[in-house]
Amino acid sequence: MLVLAAAAVAGLGVLAFSDDQGKAPRKRIYEQQFAEGEGKAIAERSCLICHSQTLVTQQAKDSTAWEKTLGTMEKWGVKLTREEHDSLRTYLLAHYGPRAKK
Amino acid sequence: MAGMDRRAFLRALSRAGLASWTLGLWPALSRAATPAAKPTPKPSKTPAAAPPSAELIERNAWPEHYETTLPALGKSWITRNDRFFVRSHLPVPIVDPATYRLEVTGLVATPLSLSLADIKAIPSMEAAVTLECAGNGRGLFKLANTSGTQWERGAVGNAMWGGVKLPFLLRRAQVLPEARHVWFEGADVGTLPEVPRFVRSIPLEKAMFDVLLAHTMNGEPLPGLHGGPVRVIVPAWYGMASTKWVTRIRLEKTASDNHFMARGYRYNYPGDDPSLVPPPVEEMKIKSVITRPLEGGREAIGRVRVQGFAWAGSMGVRLVETSIDRGKTWKPAGFMGDTAPGAWRAWATEYEIKAPARLTMMARATDGKGEVQPAEAMGNLAGYGNNSIHVVSFRVA
Repeated sequence: MLVLAAAAVAGLGVLAFSDDQGKAPRKRIYEQQFAEGEGKAIAERSCLICHSQTLVTQQAKDSTAWEKTLGTMEKWGVKLTREEHDSLRTYLLAHYGPRAKK
Repeated sequence: MAGMDRRAFLRALSRAGLASWTLGLWPALSRAATPAAKPTPKPSKTPAAAPPSAELIERNAWPEHYETTLPALGKSWITRNDRFFVRSHLPVPIVDPATYRLEVTGLVATPLSLSLADIKAIPSMEAAVTLECAGNGRGLFKLANTSGTQWERGAVGNAMWGGVKLPFLLRRAQVLPEARHVWFEGADVGTLPEVPRFVRSIPLEKAMFDVLLAHTMNGEPLPGLHGGPVRVIVPAWYGMASTKWVTRIRLEKTASDNHFMARGYRYNYPGDDPSLVPPPVEEMKIKSVITRPLEGGREAIGRVRVQGFAWAGSMGVRLVETSIDRGKTWKPAGFMGDTAPGAWRAWATEYEIKAPARLTMMARATDGKGEVQPAEAMGNLAGYGNNSIHVVSFRVA
């Protein structure tokens, strides 16, 4: 079967890779800024130490999942008071909550 | 612009007296962490710098996460350096080739410390190897929760890697009989001291089989974004195994217990028994991608060419089939061009379309042991190994 398939394709010519599909524009596809709202300042102060905003703004997570993320980030050196921690989780959930089931 | 934000953010930090604290940390950290390499990690990419190519999608500005667009991916069997996807766990370090050292240490009779010149003096070989990020396709999983970078289809590429066979160095170092695993340490360090280093390991038998220490990529000195001056290339495994900026190779009895081994890169399925250790992400799953036609694209009436790439783990690709009737019937495509053990296969086929139509193309690959791509890969919490069948809607006019 494979031999037949190869034979069928032989008629297509060799490696017809082409540059004729056009160049895609550079894409910046996520929100580059954190959403306005209570907690934004905490997000800027803590998340941006290690990574850009888009790593957050492209994610979608429920409260448990954001809580897990915050726990990891605190373990990795981000300093948050209990109040800041709760505000940040509320902020993340409000703006980057779970996505609707497709 | 993200860069502007970053500058503004650093200014704000500076006002708070934090920037000097944070920025001042890196040199000290890197010295402590990798005395052999003395890397000088930079805090982030240059503000406002863009991905190196218009054919890359910037999924994360820093650390750099760039994905190749499908039109760019489809242009050649070898993916050009400026089109190749970039995945960084920690800030991209600047490693000075003049002071770079690679140590081979641990359970060896003869520890080695090599300069880049020493490494380049060793007879080198080149191999075409396909690397795919384990998270490629994460953004396409139909899960309510999705953690991490939302890669779609272009966190994969095929390059000609040149360098030294790892078995050559291991033999020179005389691995002791009790060694079972090879740990790779990179020069990259986190921004905060608590961030774990990226220290992964592979079994010794894999290291002795086909692993390469690459210092060239497609004939050029290995670019820093891709792990230069020296990175590991582990064929058939997902990209996380191919440690970038490698500075130390350590022979150990056990596998690395690092975060990126023990907790990261594990298949956690919803509902799994939490007392069980989730399976590790290792070999690439059988997968294919359609690079022509493109989603939403138009093809001319007549012979419509369909093409793409297919790749797998160590079992290789046996078959690629396409379907134009949503999977009711499949026909085999033909393989084209080069064949190399660790590299993807280019494939193509044709359909005769005589009238304007809206069509759906599917491609599925089968590996050497008969594993077939699923219609929908099982979603796992961290979104690894999405090898669902690629479906492309296009029109013929």
